[in-house]
Order: sequence, then structure tokens, then C-alpha cells
Amino acid sequence: MRRLAVSILLTALLLSGCGAQMSPDEAQESIQVLAMDTAMLITTYGERSPAAAYACEDAIRDLEKQLSRTDPDSEVSRLNASAGEPVEVGEDLGVLLELAKYYHGSTGGAFNIAVAPVVSAWGFTEDSFQVPSQAELDGLLELVQGPSYIGPRSSGGTICYSLGPGQAIDLGGIAKGYAADKIVKVLQEHDVPRANINLGGNVLAYGDRPDGTPWRVGIQDPARADEQNAFAGVLALTDSFAVTSGGYQRYFEEGGKRYHHIIDPSTGYPADSGLTSVTVVAGLGGGDGFPGTMCDAYSTALFIMGEEQALAFWRDETQRGEQGCPFELVLVTEDGRVVVTPSLADRFTLEETSGYTLEVVPS
Amino acid sequence: MRPSPKLRPTAWDGLVVLCVAALALGLAFFQWRGGTSEALTAVVSVDGTEVDRLDLEHWEGPQVYTNNGYTLTLSGIRHNDTENGVWVAESDCPTQDCVRTGAIFRSGQSIVCLPARIIIRLEGGTPDPDAVDAVLG
Repeated sequence: MRRLAVSILLTALLLSGCGAQMSPDEAQESIQVLAMDTAMLITTYGERSPAAAYACEDAIRDLEKQLSRTDPDSEVSRLNASAGEPVEVGEDLGVLLELAKYYHGSTGGAFNIAVAPVVSAWGFTEDSFQVPSQAELDGLLELVQGPSYIGPRSSGGTICYSLGPGQAIDLGGIAKGYAADKIVKVLQEHDVPRANINLGGNVLAYGDRPDGTPWRVGIQDPARADEQNAFAGVLALTDSFAVTSGGYQRYFEEGGKRYHHIIDPSTGYPADSGLTSVTVVAGLGGGDGFPGTMCDAYSTALFIMGEEQALAFWRDETQRGEQGCPFELVLVTEDGRVVVTPSLADRFTLEETSGYTLEVVPS
Repeated sequence: MRPSPKLRPTAWDGLVVLCVAALALGLAFFQWRGGTSEALTAVVSVDGTEVDRLDLEHWEGPQVYTNNGYTLTLSGIRHNDTENGVWVAESDCPTQDCVRTGAIFRSGQSIVCLPARIIIRLEGGTPDPDAVDAVLG
């Protein structure tokens, strides 16, 4: 009888021990963060998932403090207010300014962080929307299309940049992508096996889902922007970044016309390229070490370019082989088509009810 | 040291095996039920801090939340007599994105009011195999 009691006690102890030790997939932390003018959702897995999720939040808040255009104490605000004087910048802003310069060149000027004064003239910075006069736009476009910022210059062990008088930069087109790149390092440092990070339309699908299948990432149907669960299609992603830009995300209406927030730096007007959204997808190892930043920049630039130019740009980058930065595309067009590049075709499922026609770009 | 007794299974050993098996099955069932039985819940966070967990089986609202100078009214909604959800019925924020989002019914969906810095997110409920893990756009 005593042997029975001991056996049951031992078994109970063993079972309670099993219960306390969670499998890495059950240990999960989900936090929501309001930052960079958007709502973010961070879900991490693994034994160190809580520490990892909060370290991700710290990284985002740290970047926001440096890069915000509305915080007068940020490095970006100080640079914008410098009236041509050199301003010392930290490592993150320095890297971003160099990346932005590269994307500006590679996209033939479609990506341009110096478009900030024009975006402000439309009221998208402060949510006080208005259609600027052509004379005002013409004046501002000279600043946008003129010589870009100067730097880096080394001065007494610090790195400085300067803008021309009246010039201003806005990193809203790459800051979230850069944050996603930094988050990958945070996840690696915390031995996170899988995570699902959504930085307001910038998605990082890290590892796979707990059931071993790829993360399911829906692309919002631009024609049904106000509806939840209204998708143009769904991507199956593992270890990838995906970023979508679309005119439906922020806009205002005046005189019966709709004006959205993606400003074409060549005209000063909202881009009118026949596309309603552009999704750029890249693997964790791509983009010259900054794949998230690249996806963010190119989703904006390719939306401005339009279908034909965007696909030509994609083809050029793909054909550059190891020299290029491979990425894949999902384009949603105004005339009801969803255009997918070939490598992504088997990872994309068109939403049947959306009414779009699927086109796969020939290899 | 006393020599070990001859090892031969007895009726008591059989009983122990049965007890362990029953306990394991019971625990497994408990855990399985625990994974899916949480009712659909609206989690409201203000400025990043959770302030309310509303069990949508029983909660109907309305509930008023004020933050950052803006006020919004959250209400419960029942769809087809089976699905429970929530929607922002009214808000004095300038963007009105929270109102335009409409009603949400599925776990993982959320309503965000950036000006008021308020997020309403649904958790729990019956898992939906077709649900997506993230939305682009």
C-alpha cells in the first residue's frame, strides 16, 4: 500500500513538472504598440518571448525618438530646422540617410525623402488636409528636385549632415522597414524560433507558424479598404518581409475628388499610376543587409512608377543576380487585375470573392 | 543491504498504471478544453495599457472611453443571432478611422483609434482555420 502511495505521489510530481515546462510554441507573448503614427502588433514565441517582445518595442521607441518629424527634439526635426547648418546624426539616421540616397538613385528619383515639404503642403503631416496651389507646389518642387542633403561629413569624431535652406526630409517611407530589420536582430539575440511582427502594414513573418506551415498574410483589397477580412489575396510567407503601399491608406476628398498621401516627387501631386496597391516581398537575407527597409522604400516608389515601370525595375534587379537585391511583387491595378511575379505565384492565393483576375508575370 | 525482492507485477501495480493513465487523459482533456473554451473577448488598451476585458457573450455596452482629448463610444453587436462583435458607434476624433472600421467579429481583428491612442482587439473564441495571421495595407 505504501508503495502505491509513493508511486502516485511520484507520478503527480512528474506530471506537475511537465505542466510547468511549456513547449517553445506555447510560450508566446503578444503586445500592441502605438508608435510611428500607426498601430503595431508584436507576437513572439519561445521561452524568452516576453523579453523579446518588449525588446522589440524598445527598439521601435528608440527609433521613433530619433526619426519622428513631429517630435521637435528628434534628430530628424533638428536636421529639418537647421537652415543649412551641419547637424550631428547618430548611427541609425546616418545609415537611413545613406540607404535613402541609394534608393533615390536606384528608383530614378521615385523614392525621395526630400518630398517632405510637399507632403506637408497637402496637410498629410498634421492631418489638416488641403489642395495646394500650383504656384506653391512649383516653388516646393525646386527644393525637392534640387541637390539633396549633403553628407556625411566627419567633424571632430562625429558624423554630420546638412540640408539646403527650406529643405526637409521625412523618413516615413522607410522608418518602419528599418525598424523591422532591427527587430530581426532582436529576435535572433533572444533565440526566438518564430514571430509574427506587424508594424502597421510592414509585416515580418519570422520562421514559420507553430503548426509548421507558413504564416498567412492577407493583402487588403484596396477597393474594400474599410472592410476587415476583405483581401485581394493571401500570401504564405516564411522568413520574409512584406510591405504594402496603397493610395487607399490615407486620403481626403475635396471638390468631389480624392487625394491620397503618396506624392509623386516629379509632379507634387498624389501618384496616379493606375495601381491601387503595391506589395513588395523579400527574404530575410536580401536587400544588401536591409531587406525590410528595401521593401518599404520600393513599395512606395513602385506605386509611383506604375505597372510597366515597376515590372521593368523588378526585372532589372532580378537579372543583376548576386549584384541585385531580389524581391517579388504583388500589384493590384485599377482595372481589376492582380499581377504577381513568378517566384511568388505558388505562395499567393487569389481571394475568389474579390473579383480580380490573376496574372502571373512571365519569367 | 537487504537483497531486492523478486520483481513481479501485482494487482496494486495494475491499479497504479490505471490511475496514471486516467490522470494523464484527464489532464490532456483539461488542457484541450482550456485552449478553445475562452469566450470571445474584446481587450481594450489605452496608451498601451490594458484597461478592460469585455466578455462578448455577456457584454453589450455601450462603454465610453476618453483619452488624449478624444472620446469614443464602444458598443456590442450581435450578427445573425450567433456571432458577437464590437464596433465604435461614435468618436469625436478627426480621422474617424475607428468608426469607419465598422464591426469586428473574429479573434485577431482590431479597431484602432490613433488620435485617442485606443486599441480594441478581439481574443479567444473558436479558432478560425481560414483566419490570416497578419494583414498588409
